[in-house]
Amino acid sequence: MSAKKGHPKRGISVYSYHNLLGRTMTLEDCFEEMYDTGATCFELLTSYIDNYPNPSPAWVDKYWRLCEKYNLEPAELGHWAENHLRRGPGMSDEEVVEELKQDFRLANLLGFKALRTKITCTNDLCDPEPGWQNYIEKALPYAEKYDVVMQNEVHLPTTLHTPHIRDEYLDFIHRTGTSHFGFNIDFGTFQYRPSKGLEFMGLTFEDITKPEEIVDFLPYSKACHTKFTYMNENFDEETIPYKEVIKLMVDNGWDGWLLSEYEGGLRFHAEESAEDFAAAIDGIPDQVRRHQIMMSNLLGY
Amino acid sequence: MVEYQSIQQRGFHNTYDSEGRITGFEFKFVPKYYKGLWFTQCRFGNVKVDGEEFDRDTLVYEYDGLEYSREELFSLEKYWQFRSPLIVKIKKEGGLTKGYHDVFMDFGWVLNYNGALEAEPDGSGLGNMAHMFGTANQRRMLLCR
Repeated sequence: MSAKKGHPKRGISVYSYHNLLGRTMTLEDCFEEMYDTGATCFELLTSYIDNYPNPSPAWVDKYWRLCEKYNLEPAELGHWAENHLRRGPGMSDEEVVEELKQDFRLANLLGFKALRTKITCTNDLCDPEPGWQNYIEKALPYAEKYDVVMQNEVHLPTTLHTPHIRDEYLDFIHRTGTSHFGFNIDFGTFQYRPSKGLEFMGLTFEDITKPEEIVDFLPYSKACHTKFTYMNENFDEETIPYKEVIKLMVDNGWDGWLLSEYEGGLRFHAEESAEDFAAAIDGIPDQVRRHQIMMSNLLGY
Repeated sequence: MVEYQSIQQRGFHNTYDSEGRITGFEFKFVPKYYKGLWFTQCRFGNVKVDGEEFDRDTLVYEYDGLEYSREELFSLEKYWQFRSPLIVKIKKEGGLTKGYHDVFMDFGWVLNYNGALEAEPDGSGLGNMAHMFGTANQRRMLLCR
């Protein structure tokens, strides 16, 4: 255990507001919401960059003004390593690398040091499509040039002991010795029981990540999704052992970004009726605020 | 800002030629999904209005001021910006009557999430994400002109 306590930063993923973004909320509205919570950093998705992948200089200026006005630090940019963008055979490694370089440049331009890099998966457990190492390895020099870390997200039902996590991703890190590839550990991987509003998904929680498993992975993680699906009125999340996991992170000296990511019932049903959408308009920002209160209580800041 | 429904009522009207004759109708479409997509990832299905079906290969899709066929969209290397509408144009002599209409459109996409790529067991050509999000979009809308 590290002698020095960690000091994770408390942030929010703009994804949390995606049902409302462009419908009832502008990007600035999201920044104002985040500022209200006391969050100090955020995650953006490439899709939320105006005119992606070629934002105008005016938009980039506006973006930095928002960061300054609301005192928010760019933490992670969510992007996709798509290698089947066209019908027929997959793209060449070189084509995928060009796609990745484009996002690395954008991340650098917008101040992001961490990326959530979605590698092509072929089943529910998110086993990667064979051959991913080829294009990711070729992209490493560019990740270094643009000072970004590609992070594979470990997302329910994937656990930290799902074979491909060690056999493929961790093995890749060790073989290449890179510090530009790692993990965004989504807290949903620790979820041990169904959450209110998502019973319809029929998840079993028979195989989950135990809190202590996170310790081995902390050196390879810069940003994690503090996933939540329902926050009660007492500002508690009832299905994920938050207190235990965050204590392990702090005690082991982890200084990364914790990004609140709402993915609950309001999000899944928002577009089904006027009543559902109205519930999302009020409920989603409220859920994020509740979660930030819990995070503040747990971290002490 | 767009409406929360994927099929937008704003922009729903008959279309006219230069002599004022009705040539068909159009509506705007915005995917519900949480992110934008490259057009090459998009898979468009048929439109149905009040039960009358319009084949996807007879439709015209307008984005950013330019018109495309479904086939052309497969090779359009352009990013469909998040919450940005695509205009779907349907040829129909006489257009639609003033009043309420049930408008339906199938739309799917290909993405690298948790599923076999381009696995379309139903032969629909609607991409590999239907198992998570479905493809049906439907809305009852009021046409005024």
